[in-house]
Amino acid sequence: MTASQNSDLPFPLLRRGKVREMYDLGDALLMVASDRISAFDVVLPQPIPDKGAVLTQISRFWFDKSGHIVRNHCISADPDEIVKLRPELAATRPLWAGRGMLVEKAKTFPVECVVRGYITGSAWKEYSREGTLAGEPLPEGLIEAQELEPPIFSPATKAETGHDENITFDQMKGVLGTKVAEYLRDTSLDLYGFARDYARERGIIIADTKFEFGTSGTGEVLLIDEALTPDSSRFWPADQYQAGATPPSLDKQPVRDYLQELVNEGRWDKSPPGPDLPDEIVESTSARYREAYRRLTGEELPDFK
Amino acid sequence: MSDVFSPLRQALTWRDLWIALAEIERELGVDVPESAIEELRAGRDSVDLARIAEIEAELRHDVMAHVHQYGEVAPGARPFIHLGATSAFVADNAGLVQLRDALALTSDRLLAAISALSEFAGRWAHLPTLGYTHWQPAQPVTVGKRATLWLQDLVADLEQIRLLQVEMRFRGARGTTGTEATFLELFEGDGDKVDELNRRLSERFGFTGTWDVVGQTYPRKFDHRVLSVLAGIGASVARFAQDVRLLQSFGEIEEPFGRSQIGSSAMPYKRNPMRCERAGALARHLCILELDAAWTASVQGFERTLDDSANRRIAIPEAFLCADAILQIVANVSSGLVVHEAVIRARLDRSLPFLVTEQVLIAGVRKGGDRQELHERVRVHAMAARERLDTGSEDNDFFRRVAGDLSFGLSMEELTGLSRPEDLVGRCPVQVERFLRERVAPLLEGYSGSEAPELRV
Repeated sequence: MTASQNSDLPFPLLRRGKVREMYDLGDALLMVASDRISAFDVVLPQPIPDKGAVLTQISRFWFDKSGHIVRNHCISADPDEIVKLRPELAATRPLWAGRGMLVEKAKTFPVECVVRGYITGSAWKEYSREGTLAGEPLPEGLIEAQELEPPIFSPATKAETGHDENITFDQMKGVLGTKVAEYLRDTSLDLYGFARDYARERGIIIADTKFEFGTSGTGEVLLIDEALTPDSSRFWPADQYQAGATPPSLDKQPVRDYLQELVNEGRWDKSPPGPDLPDEIVESTSARYREAYRRLTGEELPDFK
Repeated sequence: MSDVFSPLRQALTWRDLWIALAEIERELGVDVPESAIEELRAGRDSVDLARIAEIEAELRHDVMAHVHQYGEVAPGARPFIHLGATSAFVADNAGLVQLRDALALTSDRLLAAISALSEFAGRWAHLPTLGYTHWQPAQPVTVGKRATLWLQDLVADLEQIRLLQVEMRFRGARGTTGTEATFLELFEGDGDKVDELNRRLSERFGFTGTWDVVGQTYPRKFDHRVLSVLAGIGASVARFAQDVRLLQSFGEIEEPFGRSQIGSSAMPYKRNPMRCERAGALARHLCILELDAAWTASVQGFERTLDDSANRRIAIPEAFLCADAILQIVANVSSGLVVHEAVIRARLDRSLPFLVTEQVLIAGVRKGGDRQELHERVRVHAMAARERLDTGSEDNDFFRRVAGDLSFGLSMEELTGLSRPEDLVGRCPVQVERFLRERVAPLLEGYSGSEAPELRV
């Protein structure tokens, strides 16, 4: 399959995110992950072959595995099955096969449920400056990329544009009510704990992750969106992890390194449009995504047709 | 069992009856020479079935053919054989001996089946399995409890056989229309001697007396009693066999399957429940044979008509042979039933969440929910989970839906806690243990047991 920037299917487009489209099929949705890649919050011109399929199939993998914790919106990510269930998708199959997931419709809760198992990124910046995370104090003396035990739930508001904003759990309760907020927190922590242990045995550290939840047509909470993918989480190679410094990203590191070099050389200022990526960076990044899938699932990414 | 009904054994029983008749007549003063009786004893075993058939072809009378052949090997006794008797004296009394012996064998077979099945029931008394009513999933039972249902049927059959054994009487020497007139004449009007003759005959053949009154024959109603009890065994076994066949189609429990057995000539992967299918086929025939006996009893005219004979010769031995065969199958299958616990559990898990909706409601109300609202929520989630199963999903996600529905406030742990199968089988283990202890153990007391029969299937 050739790499794709946009799927452009002949169905009402419900949402187009940085890297994903959501199509309305009436009583279900088709969620298509593109091969687009973003870095430093800028979408780059070159797609990464197989990236969309890896994201979709990793989500599918976790959805299958985590059903005992919470029900999720995934109906199928298998193109054969999807076409059987929704014959109207047969004609456009090459545009979404592997990257598309048929999902239940849900009413989304307006809070992102972030779980941090290691202190890194913006959380590390806040902690090293204020000694807090989302305004709440953390133990003293943590070092960068140190494991947080127990993991910390840090909700954020969903921002349509720009950065999500961290909020406190009390603020979350104000938005969703105590019962829902507590359920989402507990479920997020359960999901993260389960996935962290599973991935660690396969050489991957899931440093942090972001879940989204919604309410199903029959009124119960569903895990929606993508789940526990390299895009919604930080994946670190376990063999390169050492507390004290943030390890390289399992998937995006070649892109980040290349762009950082451009920035260092003053050839790019992190503002759109993003610079072109050389072929070898595109290829090595694509290979890293496939490797993430292989490590996690123990299987090669199937060749979707 | 076929030995009980063999022509040779019947001929020998007839001869024993003739010897006993002559001996007792002589004891009671009838002029039968001792030498004649000695000849009868000496010639008892010289049964020549070919010769008897030859004579019967000429005389067209089976009893007289036997009398003549006996007379040929005991010529000095020839004038006294069958003295005062009618054909029914040998035919019916021997028939009753056959019934008695066949009932004893059937009783042994029942014990063997009960013994094997009770071991199975005891072993699996605690293993929860999906119950079925209307062949639709219902509250769980245990594998052993279901086996106890089969077992109870067989125990009832055994009790019926024991009742028959107590009820049954000898026909004795009663004459052509059951008036005992001939014997009254033989004993020169001494009725007490006629009674004594019958008392001694019954005793000699191990019966507790004779029927109060008879026509020419013993009551054909008793044949029906016997065949109805055998048909009862047929019903018990047919039901057992059908349950096992269904369980095998579910993949939960299988009858024993030989390592090199072939299930199908065209579908080599198959393991068919052929033993139970055979048991079902024979049991059905056995149930049908009861009708023969009922009908035969119903058409007996006045002191007798001969429209019973040819039917009985087929129906009675066939019934016992069928019962014999199917009880051996039950013993054989029960002692080798293969239980696939994982399949049983998987099938249970698929339905279990739906079987505890009442408990879910109660738990939700305890957490502050409104029973009526929760009932509707349960209905919606159950229908959605059911639809998901109907479209090919393997697992039942009803609990996950309820856990995600915050109006219940119940966690997955709490929900699975409500549906621990072992907590839902009621008193199954106790019922099994009690039945084995109170009903089965006394029956098996003194029963030495026998190896599970090898089947030629």
